[in-house]
Amino acid sequence: MSWQPEIDELHRRRQLAEACGGPDAVAKHHAQGKLTVRERIAGLTDHGSFREIGKLAGKAKYDANGQLTGFEPAPYVMGVARIDGRPVAIGGEDYTIRAGTGFGSDRRKGGQGGFIEDLAYEYRIPLVNLIDGTGGTVNTAKRKGYTVVPGYGQDGMERSADLLGIVPVVSAVMGTTAGGPSMRAILSHWSIMVKGSGQIFAAGPPVVERAFGHKLHKDELGGTKVAVDTAGTIDNVAENEQDCFEQIRRFLSYMPQNVWELPPQVDCGDPVDRCEDALASIVPRSNRQAYNMKKLLGLIVDRDSLFEIQPTFGKAVITSLARMNGKVVGIVASNPMVGGIMDFKAARKQGHFTELCDMFNIPIILFADIPGLMVGVESESDAILREGVRARYIGFQVSVPVFSVLIRKCYGVAGGGFIDRGGLNFKIAWPSAEWGSLPVEGGVKAAYRREIERAADPAAREQELEAELKQLASPFRTAEAFAIEDIIDPRETRPYLCQFIDTLQGRLRSQLGPKFKSGVRP
Amino acid sequence: MARIEVKSEITGTVWQLKSKPGDKVEGGDTLIVIESMKMEIPVITEDGGTVTEILVKEKDPVSEGQVVAIIEG
Repeated sequence: MSWQPEIDELHRRRQLAEACGGPDAVAKHHAQGKLTVRERIAGLTDHGSFREIGKLAGKAKYDANGQLTGFEPAPYVMGVARIDGRPVAIGGEDYTIRAGTGFGSDRRKGGQGGFIEDLAYEYRIPLVNLIDGTGGTVNTAKRKGYTVVPGYGQDGMERSADLLGIVPVVSAVMGTTAGGPSMRAILSHWSIMVKGSGQIFAAGPPVVERAFGHKLHKDELGGTKVAVDTAGTIDNVAENEQDCFEQIRRFLSYMPQNVWELPPQVDCGDPVDRCEDALASIVPRSNRQAYNMKKLLGLIVDRDSLFEIQPTFGKAVITSLARMNGKVVGIVASNPMVGGIMDFKAARKQGHFTELCDMFNIPIILFADIPGLMVGVESESDAILREGVRARYIGFQVSVPVFSVLIRKCYGVAGGGFIDRGGLNFKIAWPSAEWGSLPVEGGVKAAYRREIERAADPAAREQELEAELKQLASPFRTAEAFAIEDIIDPRETRPYLCQFIDTLQGRLRSQLGPKFKSGVRP
Repeated sequence: MARIEVKSEITGTVWQLKSKPGDKVEGGDTLIVIESMKMEIPVITEDGGTVTEILVKEKDPVSEGQVVAIIEG
């Protein structure tokens, strides 16, 4: 006697699960330009590598003889797979089944505290959340017969939080997202939203309309323009689902599997001694004139290795993963194309990125051209000082090597955020660099007000004083005093940095594992 | 021939026009310079082509993301 009837039943049930919410629901989903969760997983992971877990979970109907007459799969699909040959845990809501809301099993398949989160934690592998669900439903009360205190019982958010110190967590917002799934999206190291189909909010348009009487389209409330560009709630934008998968693969390529490993090294195929002549003249002689910092970075790091995090938020600072001689680095650079002045968004962005790099043992290179913190009532109201000091506080706590390259301006509180205080305090400058507590222009008037006012020709005296102080501001004088470790020919920047990134790899290997940080952030 | 919109990256005031309709430009060229926060910020075209329209004049206020020039490329 074989078990063939049961094996046949098993295969039949698997087939039923493959159907998602049925042909009509799937067609409707496709018509909105969205892939099903099964198609998404197949599109993102290495071909044929997905091993599903919990495929039989769902709601079944039986006739009087105990024969299966209907089956609605659980609205969450998950399992293990490979991305670029490396194992990942992956899961996502099936929007075609009751809009991806929970199905009420005692153990969740995914989402906060779900099986797939436990698996990522126990196996120490990255977790990818493909989010397309709206969270709780008032129907739960009908099913249970009572209402549940948020955070009570099967909450699981603590597992999502644990993961942030252990393995890379990526969240993709691929549909309209509120409630639990929206929290899940934010409890990640990096998040991305698909333009048009993705929205995230604390509550959707109907709730907002009831509260404030404002009628809004869901895209106006939580689309990429608000959630990514303005709020920075989600990090990056994908043009479509395909682009979303490519960016997830790209992000994970810079990440280790967990905090006990270093990020993978690649053969970069870009000569370490590539010295670009353009670097000698990329910074204009007038410090009023902007230049393209992204282009500058592109000439220094391994070719095509820049991957910007939060490119549209807090644009005064550029935060980017990149590689130097095949090894992953985190880059924080001022962006003179938008003035380079640090506002509260740029400060928040810099702090978050610094923490990300530190968690995964990625050394940081800072490229400074920063005139200072944003001034004015608006900026003070946005807590620029608290945000700016918080970014520096996070900088004090890093344990990865930090390297400063002073390109041009480096002034004041914000400038200090571009200097490593926790470690070697290693900084090199280009000949175009200038620094201090504040720029000479303007600073002279404040410091020598009386002397200038008393002079026979105040304007001439001011100019004289400025010229005198500007001479002292030559970076060569600071280098003579060994108050900056080196001034380099800008063309040497790539070989110089590559050598130090190579040299510090042993340090990185010496400090693997979770990082526990004490203290209260300002 | 594609119509390409060139946008200002920053809120500020038009400082200088560096190009005019009819000019042939290449990717990386500066079309307009905006003054903002005491800095001169170039509006750079990513694509080459012929300038067909400059939509601002000197001293005009511009906002972030505003289309300031059109190129046929």
